[in-house]
Amino acid sequence: MKVTIKDLTKRFASRDKTGETVTAVDTLSAEFESGKLIALLGPSGCGKSTMLNMLSGILPVTSGKIYFDDKDVTELSPDKREVGLVFQNYALYPHMTVLENICFPLKIKKVRKEERIAKAVEIAKMVHIEDYLKRLPKELSGGQQQRVAIARALVKQPKLLLLDEPLSNLDAKLRIEMREEIRRIQRESGVTTVFVTHDQEEATSISDYILLMKLGVMQQFSATRDIYNNPANLFVADFIGNPTINQIHGVYVNGGIKPDGSDEIIPCSIKANENDRVVLAVRPESVLFEGGQTTGTVNDMYSSGKDWLVNFNIGDTELRGYCDADYNVQEGSVIKVGFRDKGQFLFNEETGERY
Amino acid sequence: MKKINLGTIVLYILLAVGGLIMIFPFIWMLISSMKTWAECGSMPPTWWPKDPTLENYVYAFKTAPFLKYFRNSLIVTVLCTGITMFNTILCAFTFSRLRFPGRDIIFSIMVSLMMIPYEMLIITNYTTIVKMGLYDTLAALIIPFTSSIFYTYILRNFFLSIPDSLYYSARIDGASNWQYLWNVMVPIAKPSLVTIGLLNALTCWNSFMWSILVVGSVNNRTLPFGLFAFTDQAGIRFERLMAGSSIVVIPVIILFLFCRKQIVTGVSKGGLKG
Repeated sequence: MKVTIKDLTKRFASRDKTGETVTAVDTLSAEFESGKLIALLGPSGCGKSTMLNMLSGILPVTSGKIYFDDKDVTELSPDKREVGLVFQNYALYPHMTVLENICFPLKIKKVRKEERIAKAVEIAKMVHIEDYLKRLPKELSGGQQQRVAIARALVKQPKLLLLDEPLSNLDAKLRIEMREEIRRIQRESGVTTVFVTHDQEEATSISDYILLMKLGVMQQFSATRDIYNNPANLFVADFIGNPTINQIHGVYVNGGIKPDGSDEIIPCSIKANENDRVVLAVRPESVLFEGGQTTGTVNDMYSSGKDWLVNFNIGDTELRGYCDADYNVQEGSVIKVGFRDKGQFLFNEETGERY
Repeated sequence: MKKINLGTIVLYILLAVGGLIMIFPFIWMLISSMKTWAECGSMPPTWWPKDPTLENYVYAFKTAPFLKYFRNSLIVTVLCTGITMFNTILCAFTFSRLRFPGRDIIFSIMVSLMMIPYEMLIITNYTTIVKMGLYDTLAALIIPFTSSIFYTYILRNFFLSIPDSLYYSARIDGASNWQYLWNVMVPIAKPSLVTIGLLNALTCWNSFMWSILVVGSVNNRTLPFGLFAFTDQAGIRFERLMAGSSIVVIPVIILFLFCRKQIVTGVSKGGLKG
């Protein structure tokens, strides 16, 4: 099912009763393609969970519209929206067994007992929890509980599956395992899925599209690959990528950037207005340690397995770049570096907009 | 083998003594009820009746319709508790889950009503019951006690401790407020509900003053009132009085023995949070 969001806005009354309002989501418009996995990404408090809750119908919208396919569901109550929702804490019914939990949505729909058990078992097999049907939620591990929650959300065959920070309660190893599971389950069921996360790695590793938000405003909505290779603004470039993107603040002069605290000019193929304050952002893998013209001083080196992460300075700015393991430098070495065109972006320092 | 230290032994002795002190009046009641009049009043008292007899029970059943009293008590207790629980559950749900203007103010007013002592309400309740034409009926014993602010308050606090996500989850699963309440909230709150139900049932079962006020005829007496009336009939024949008391107490003890597990877990697990 295709989801269309139009000028969606949510304002909350502020807590201190001054009558002021806080805008959690600000005139956001987007269209989620059918059958895709979409990540709502952003730092805490950016309004991504609010978005999810509006999609599910738990939170009424202040203004704007939500369409499922062509149907306006803005005013529809959660029980009529045919969505499945998995909460961060899974929200399993503690007094029911796994089977009863999964059956619950069907029981409410008054599906016949044999039929609902058959369906529940089928879904349980898909999420690999068929061996635990008789247990209570508290007798399961975090990963298993989450599978149950997903099964319960999927059993009524929702048109839209919503996951609210589904992995944040799991330990690191299980998290990676479960995100692949979510990917697999989403592929197998083919249901349009929206999931909320603050972890950019989680978002980039499994989603088809990423919608990145900051303070209630959509920053960028594009295919996962594009958001890394083609960030719309400085915030997006900074938020996506690990290690984070290098930022060189300086002035744009003579077709290059004069970094603060250095007299050298870094040549740059991207055009900006003369004397603008700019930020040159470069991905660590786009730093070249051979054939460059800019002088840098090595601070530190870390092995990251197959290659090295070199920490160096240009003027006052600290940067990081990847180099081959056989590249021979020491702490304090003066090196010449350059930047590849790919993975190099120029932003206006004040507005953060990309040139 | 498990080591038994001195502390444990002392503790167990103390507990045993305490237990004996608690249970002694009941045992004495049962023993006395099987004595003859002469033996009952003899000095020094005998521990075991020389000639155990059930005559006193026969007398008690003959003089006073204890079975009828028992039936009345049962009807009043079951209906009172049932209706109170139903009202309490709905009310607690309303004040914990639903949002409507003035909710918290209304609840504060309700809670402040708990400040009014029960004795002050007796006269108004009495006039109301009489005006409703319910004097000397079982309904008069039931109707004034079908809701409880105190229990509502306790249950509301318990409901508030149930995470919101369960509610939203159930709503998205297609459940209405009503279905959510009975399928999710009530089963989770079972320990609390058992505790509340038991407290309520005990209060009803032992209620004495109110029944003396609004019930006159023998047919509508409950056990405590019946026993009180029986003291007149038994006079100073303590062994008969003890037989009457045993008749009143034994069913409750049997009930307790059967439900002990639920009662204990109910009180210790759900407890009276709030």
